[in-house]
Amino acid sequence: MVKSITIFTTNTCAYCAMVKKYLDIKNHTYEVVNLDEHPERQAEALSLSGALTVPVTVVTKHDDSQEVIVGYNLAQLAPAIA
Amino acid sequence: MVGAGPAALTASIYTTREDIETLLFERGAIGGLAAVTDKVDNYPGFPDGIEGLTLADNLHKQAERFGAVIELGEVTGITDEGEYKRLETTSGEMLAKAVLIATGCDYKKIGVRGEADYYAHGVHYCATCDGAFYRDKRLVVIGGGNSAFQESIFLTRFASHIDILVRSRVRASDVLQEEMKKYIKQNKVTIHTNVTIDEIVGVNGSVDKVLTTNSSSGEKKEFKTDGVFVFVGLMPNSQFLAGSDVALDDMGFVKTGEHMQTSMPGVFAAGDIRSGSTMQIASAVGEGSTAALIIREYLDGKLMPKSESSREVKAPQ
Repeated sequence: MVKSITIFTTNTCAYCAMVKKYLDIKNHTYEVVNLDEHPERQAEALSLSGALTVPVTVVTKHDDSQEVIVGYNLAQLAPAIA
Repeated sequence: MVGAGPAALTASIYTTREDIETLLFERGAIGGLAAVTDKVDNYPGFPDGIEGLTLADNLHKQAERFGAVIELGEVTGITDEGEYKRLETTSGEMLAKAVLIATGCDYKKIGVRGEADYYAHGVHYCATCDGAFYRDKRLVVIGGGNSAFQESIFLTRFASHIDILVRSRVRASDVLQEEMKKYIKQNKVTIHTNVTIDEIVGVNGSVDKVLTTNSSSGEKKEFKTDGVFVFVGLMPNSQFLAGSDVALDDMGFVKTGEHMQTSMPGVFAAGDIRSGSTMQIASAVGEGSTAALIIREYLDGKLMPKSESSREVKAPQ
């Protein structure tokens, strides 16, 4: 079960908008970290994802395990939030 | 409709306003390549240009306002069953009386050593997505067309310097070349022509330099960089049509007749996926609306006007 979801985004990122849309359709709430407004959190996004890209979606389960999905990838995102 | 870029979104505005039940499938960003383009200056009606993401968002809202439904998923096959077409999708099998293929294109890869290894670790294809990671860093942009120039201009917001590597000569529009001059004068951008990319090399898991050869002098040159953005052209999203009865040309674009129809009756194509398309948002929008009106005629059981160059489309009896 999902405890929390955090998405790292930028203002101009269309795929970030798609992740948000998908989570809205699935009725999930999420925290958005906008890296244009908070560039100091880029290092955090990079260390979680291992990639210099957005969106980075971090799904934290009730057992505090985390799954990190890089990019707009429904094949990974769908089972992670199920 | 397969795809929800400008062609399909426009077509769906027309079909839904005619009360034709319309479902669009989109596996990527709604708005297609327009959504990942920084700024669009040549789409009519916007004298100061418009951000691609905003234009995409507006098209999306307008389509949904009239009742278009967009499914986030993928169509993996189409077969002709006479009155209906059967579509295999990630949401299961579906039947449709008419289909519009509007899957557009995606950005090509160069195909050099190191490119795949460093994807998202220094090699990128989307400036609006990933440019922000390169504040005050050096960048290389590979490509010499409109996308390479437009997205390089966007990247100047972040990068300390951009080397644009062009395979032969610059093909970007005069307007973009003129706009680029300002950044060249500021030493933010340097353009290098006749550059063949040999390899993208990294150190400790990150991109470090691009190795090149000058195609006219043979001189080898290294470009030190923190990141590489690639804009070397477009390839059609037609893999799902392989083996189907929808005919493709040699490059993988969908062949159409005079009235946007493909070789499969009841299946039409519009936008960048169409063979002969001019690859512009304005063209895609025009083709989308044209296709929608033709689809309406088709669904109403009306025959297409005959002409020497067109195939007659017969609606099911």
